[in-house]
Amino acid sequence: MLDIRGLSKRFGYGKGEVTALHEVSFSIAEGEFFTLLGPSGCGKTTLLRLIAGFTGPSGGSLVLDGKDIAAMPPNQRPVNTVFQSYALFPHMTVGQNVAFALEAQGRPRSEIDPAVDKMLTLVQLLHLKNRKSSELSGGQQQRVALARALVAKPRILLLDEPLSALDMKLRKDMQIELKRLQRETGLTFIFVTHDQEEALTMSDRIAVMSGGHVQQIATPRELYDRPANRFVAGFIGESNFLSAKASAGVVEVGEGRVALADAPDGPVTLMIRPEHVVLSANAPDALELQATVAQLVFFGTDTHVHLVLADGTRLVARVQNALHGGQSLNEGERITISLPAKALRVVRDEEVAA
Amino acid sequence: MAKRSFDVTRLPGTAVLAVACFVILYIPMAILVAYSFNSGKVIGNWEGLSLKWYGSAIHNQAFLDAAINSLILAVTASVVSTVFATMAALATTRTEKFRGEGAIHIILNQPLMVPEIVLAIALVIIIGQIKQMTGYNGLGFLIAAHTTFCIPFAYLPIRARLEGMDLSLETAAADLYAGRFYTFRRVTLPLLAPAILSGFMLAFVVSLDDLVMSDFLKSPGQDTLPTYLMGELRRNLTSEIYAISSLLLLLSVLIVAGSWVATRKKD
Repeated sequence: MLDIRGLSKRFGYGKGEVTALHEVSFSIAEGEFFTLLGPSGCGKTTLLRLIAGFTGPSGGSLVLDGKDIAAMPPNQRPVNTVFQSYALFPHMTVGQNVAFALEAQGRPRSEIDPAVDKMLTLVQLLHLKNRKSSELSGGQQQRVALARALVAKPRILLLDEPLSALDMKLRKDMQIELKRLQRETGLTFIFVTHDQEEALTMSDRIAVMSGGHVQQIATPRELYDRPANRFVAGFIGESNFLSAKASAGVVEVGEGRVALADAPDGPVTLMIRPEHVVLSANAPDALELQATVAQLVFFGTDTHVHLVLADGTRLVARVQNALHGGQSLNEGERITISLPAKALRVVRDEEVAA
Repeated sequence: MAKRSFDVTRLPGTAVLAVACFVILYIPMAILVAYSFNSGKVIGNWEGLSLKWYGSAIHNQAFLDAAINSLILAVTASVVSTVFATMAALATTRTEKFRGEGAIHIILNQPLMVPEIVLAIALVIIIGQIKQMTGYNGLGFLIAAHTTFCIPFAYLPIRARLEGMDLSLETAAADLYAGRFYTFRRVTLPLLAPAILSGFMLAFVVSLDDLVMSDFLKSPGQDTLPTYLMGELRRNLTSEIYAISSLLLLLSVLIVAGSWVATRKKD
């Protein structure tokens, strides 16, 4: 439905030129909850602004429903945005804010009024219709912004870090609310965030961005289980990295070795999630290593065990806390750990900005 | 910045100084207003309470003519300069940076920096020539001159407001299918209205008060309130001047108060 082809954006001229987006290409499907995830300055907001039309691309095309919209002004694109600051019109009531898009399109009053009421009902704010938007709480403003952007039934709804101004509790509620709205309306959402947890819980697919490049596009599950490179592995969830040597499908770390079919010959970086580290020997088909327990950190549901390997590499293992104390480890203790082959991933270095 | 704990009102003598400043500033005006109710003819010689000089003023044709001239001048100059100032402020804040933008800013504010007398002398020469060539000597010259020096007064508050306005509001309007003009009419203008009003009122008061420019550029017999008062002060010093000055003061106070109410309400 939306095809992004070789889209790039540069700011400034000559020596001051900065490339915010390097030729990015991917497609977004109808009805998808698609997330652009990355740290600040990764190009995600630039990409969103290009799709909205607030800024023009330096190259490439944006094809929506078979039509190139890259040169179209924002008011002609069937794309609406929920802004990070909400950008509600302070001199208008909630109802007037929501009606704005339909009025700008010149729709008749008889069509606008019921549409506004329907939208406000959907976000559960009908009772505040005649309030000034400046008199609302953050969460309410957020929902007005959503209603305002949805009322004209855009082909795509863009959300620019819409939850970042809310407190933790409200943010969790709004995550569920957003997902519900998306399901009920069947609309395509493009969501921008730097919060990996938000991205994992809400998205159908996630594009992880860094340095103006898309590092990987995958479902949350795939991203977590099979990160394409070191950047993705480090950005999504927690990861341990190990330097290893591989030859003929066998990787070697210090004294341990294990068969890993997809490892290319030569030095490689291995990645393993903290919850997959086993704090004992005898795990079949695993890399067995000697480690010292450096620190134990209690987190309620689980404990983080900080380990140091013989060569000084640091690892973290996460163990669920059992009801009756479970295994008892002491700081300073030397143990054997196992890293199961099926949890080990060979990760490449990320694509870096040229 | 000073330390948070530093509180200027705690310094010894602050209160005394503040009160003294207000007294020195406002006592002369209070005396002026008081003497406008004096029944005696000679200034400074109190003979009793009376509205006589107000009565005399509103039957004084020369004063009325000057007042009408001043009002026409102030209204026209402030309306025209506010329109120009609004357009200039939009051009310098709502477009991509363009070559010479800084120069435009300086040129717009130049009447604030250049001594008024210099501008007046410069205009006297040119306007004198035009008067001779065209034979026209109506209010037009004064209107043009007043408009010129009123522009920066209207421009500054409007520009300040535009700079402080959240740009994402206009972006949001464009995102919600509004064209440029629709965005201006529904979003920018309503939010800018208080600043436009205060710019207008500032320009109005500045024009109403102007003496130098008007005195240099007026045609014979063409008085504004300040030039009329100046003439009266020189020729026949009567308590009527106090009454007229008080009326002028009242008008200024009303305008300033109006401007304050208008800008306060929206914020």
